[in-house]
Amino acid sequence: MNDLKNPNTQTELILRLMPAWRILFFLIALAGIPVLWAQDFAAALKVVFSALLGVAALASLVSVPYLLHRDHKGRMISLVLDYLGLLFCLVGVLQVGQVFTGIDSLGAVFQRGLPFLGIVLVGYLFGAASELYPNDPQRQKNLRNTGKVVLILGFIAFLLAVNVFTGLFNFLTRLLQPTGLSMIFGATLFGLSLWAMWREASAQTFNAKTSHEQMISGWLFLSPNLLGFLIFFAGPLLLSFYFSFTNSDAFNPPQWIGVDNYARILNITIKPLNDFAQPARDVLDILVYDEVGRMKIGDGGILFGAQDKFFWLALRNTLTFALFAVPLSVIPALFLSNLLNMKLPGMKFFRAVYFMPSIAAIVGISLVWQWLYNATIGYINYFITVGVEFLNSGFGLALIDPKIQWTSNSGTALLSIIIMAAWQTMGFNTVLFLAGLQNIPGELYEAATVDGAGSWAKFWNITLPMLAPTTFFVVTTTTIQAMQVFEQIFILMNPPEGPGNSTISLVLYLYRSGFQNFQQGYASAIAWVLFIVIFGLTLLQFQRQRKSSIYEG
Amino acid sequence: MNIFKSYHLGTLIRNLAVYATLTFFALVMLFPFLYMLTTSFKTPADTFRYPPRMLPRDPASIEVAGFDRPLPLYYVTHNGQEREFALAQSNLRTGTFAPADNLQASVERMLADVRPTGGEGSQQTIIVNGKEEKLYDITLDGQVVPMVLISQTTVGEFIDPKNPSVKVYQNVRLSTPVEDITWHPENYSAVVELQGLDRALSNTALVTILVVLGQLATSVIGGYAFARLKFPGRDSIFVIYLGTIMIPFVMLIVPLYQLMVLIGWTNRLAALIIPWIFTAYGTFLMRQFFITVPKEIEEAAVLDGASRLQILTKIFIPASVPALATQATFTFLYAWNSFLWPLVIINVGNSENHVLTLALNVLRGRASDTPNLILAGAAIAIIPPLIVFILGQRFFVESVTSSGVKG
Repeated sequence: MNDLKNPNTQTELILRLMPAWRILFFLIALAGIPVLWAQDFAAALKVVFSALLGVAALASLVSVPYLLHRDHKGRMISLVLDYLGLLFCLVGVLQVGQVFTGIDSLGAVFQRGLPFLGIVLVGYLFGAASELYPNDPQRQKNLRNTGKVVLILGFIAFLLAVNVFTGLFNFLTRLLQPTGLSMIFGATLFGLSLWAMWREASAQTFNAKTSHEQMISGWLFLSPNLLGFLIFFAGPLLLSFYFSFTNSDAFNPPQWIGVDNYARILNITIKPLNDFAQPARDVLDILVYDEVGRMKIGDGGILFGAQDKFFWLALRNTLTFALFAVPLSVIPALFLSNLLNMKLPGMKFFRAVYFMPSIAAIVGISLVWQWLYNATIGYINYFITVGVEFLNSGFGLALIDPKIQWTSNSGTALLSIIIMAAWQTMGFNTVLFLAGLQNIPGELYEAATVDGAGSWAKFWNITLPMLAPTTFFVVTTTTIQAMQVFEQIFILMNPPEGPGNSTISLVLYLYRSGFQNFQQGYASAIAWVLFIVIFGLTLLQFQRQRKSSIYEG
Repeated sequence: MNIFKSYHLGTLIRNLAVYATLTFFALVMLFPFLYMLTTSFKTPADTFRYPPRMLPRDPASIEVAGFDRPLPLYYVTHNGQEREFALAQSNLRTGTFAPADNLQASVERMLADVRPTGGEGSQQTIIVNGKEEKLYDITLDGQVVPMVLISQTTVGEFIDPKNPSVKVYQNVRLSTPVEDITWHPENYSAVVELQGLDRALSNTALVTILVVLGQLATSVIGGYAFARLKFPGRDSIFVIYLGTIMIPFVMLIVPLYQLMVLIGWTNRLAALIIPWIFTAYGTFLMRQFFITVPKEIEEAAVLDGASRLQILTKIFIPASVPALATQATFTFLYAWNSFLWPLVIINVGNSENHVLTLALNVLRGRASDTPNLILAGAAIAIIPPLIVFILGQRFFVESVTSSGVKG
């Protein structure tokens, strides 16, 4: 007991050094700010990074009195700062050693390594196979050991095949330069300081409690995830909001232009037409507006004009797509899931088959459908022809084979996308519904049967209301996905916007603005409008779902 | 007893109807895949054939004695029987001849076999329907009859492969060729060579493996922190995570692109990997699974002096294999199939760093006259995820809704 209360002198010495280190850290962080401003990148990022450095410097300074008083807060701040510093230096080492860009050269040799990765898998399977013999420990042990040996040998062979040692050598030689060495030095320093504060002895000196220990492990375990989330998700999300108020073009410093992007998107006009065929230039200020569409009312009508007609066409197409594709994939899915839920033999097979389209690459699938939709040799028109001939000869009808030009006719282009998308998402929705159905207690149906309810009555009065949460989930996620339709259109249509802009979608327009015209500020504004539309639709469905569930009691 | 019987009959009919419906939809679901697979083994000419056929077929040919090349086989009618004959010679010119006074009594002769009446250079003519027509000597029943040429066409000489002296003459274009079901697996090596799909495949595999491993690592430790470690701020961070799950990726595409420009990762595979190994969704999934692991096991391990990391690797990870498999499968599919982000970040010209979806996008334009190759490429992209799905579906399909996800 006596030993614990009097930490040894070594610990004491280290802990005395800590305040000095924290002050040094404070000075380095402060010095970093002007260095940062001398660099050449976006001012917004400079502000963010300077703020981060400033906070780190301040925290380091604040921790000094705590450390001197042996207050646990001092240890916490110290740990956090050193940990972040260590991570920064390690990432710096990887960057200077060109590990991230080196992934490309790994791609070139990875092919050679793939068979050996297969061997690793075989080794793993050996180990897993040991579970098959729970009553034979000797055999289990043998299998496990064989598996381990195969796995390790396979992995070593893989490393050799992809020249990992050459890569390692190159990595080390690249580090032998001022930036690399200072990064290594920094990493060592942060690492040592981290270790010093982390030690059991230091924890005792600072009277660490179990809750402190949990807090440290909690943040530590969460940190890789949280940092990645901040850097690659939350940060970019805020940045996107900022960009939407600028004229950013990805390469020059963005300039603040206020709400101009949004104003351009939302600038629309509606004009009455005396004569439906009246040219647009008679009623529109054609220097500002383009015609989006017109609606017939009596002899005249109204004309919709917009400053950015592509956005409104894209919005119209996307909403139309969602309006048809969602029911077309949800309603059959509901129907199929009820059939699958009859628990007849072979249902797992059907379930797996229905699921297949939703796991295949949309790009590949779209290529297949492109040929299915081919107007002259495609199977879809062939089936229609066969069907028409059958009806004509069998029932004496005189139907005309439509010979639909699926993807090259502005009337059917979007329809072809809708059909394909419904085909692709139906199976996933079926499985979601099936899972929902299996959660409905069987007693409800039994009670209904006793009351003499038929299948339809059971479906309307039990299945549908009980399935409401699943339906909400399915409809919401399918709608959110449908509102982002892009890949199908991009591959299936040539050009992607389709005949007469009939398949330009919001994401396609965003891609075109942001990455073909490089109006990235404008593209960001489109993204936020898209988000608001999606959010609005979700909210709408949420309220409907809440209302109906109140109604159902 | 009667009621019992009708109940059985009703059930039988109902079940048959159910199976019929399910089979119909199964065929609808499978048809594009079957079409893709069989077409990928066809020759280009076969792909453009109408009406379309499912299985790949090639014109059949046969070696016949006396010919140095194999001869194409056709269906011909010989002595009232349909037989397979080899086409020995095509473009033989034949004429239909008839006597000038009886044009209905026509016969057919090879042009090479007939001689002009009166010899070359002094051919006799006759007026038929006010037009002057040349006369030819035609041998008919052993007699030479002068006849006029009514019309001419070309035919092929078809011979019996077993007995080459048996010959049949008929129009080649109107004859049906004999076709064998022939698969052309060389389409796959051709498309791999044409578009560098081997490099794209290994890039895709590399990216996918790294993203899956990275996501599993970050979400396992993050999920553990959310599920089992109490620390201030945990719950508010969790709520933020939850709130961002529904935010569509396109919201981030512009700033992420600029971030990649800033750190020099455009055109780099790293851009397809590093930003994707952090996942709010996967963390949520693991957290949901970890909170179901009984606390007692963990507490016992703590008493034994196990560290957090040991508890995680020795207790939580083995206990959550189904959840890990589900997440791995989801991530695999997502990484393997992603298109928009690679399209933005990797240049079309930089085929070294293409992933499969990008390579297919380029292939679509380059090979538009060879659908067999395009669909072979599509199959290369589609089949590996299907295999992963079949291996992982036990976990995957089962847990789709217990968590509720969209891929």
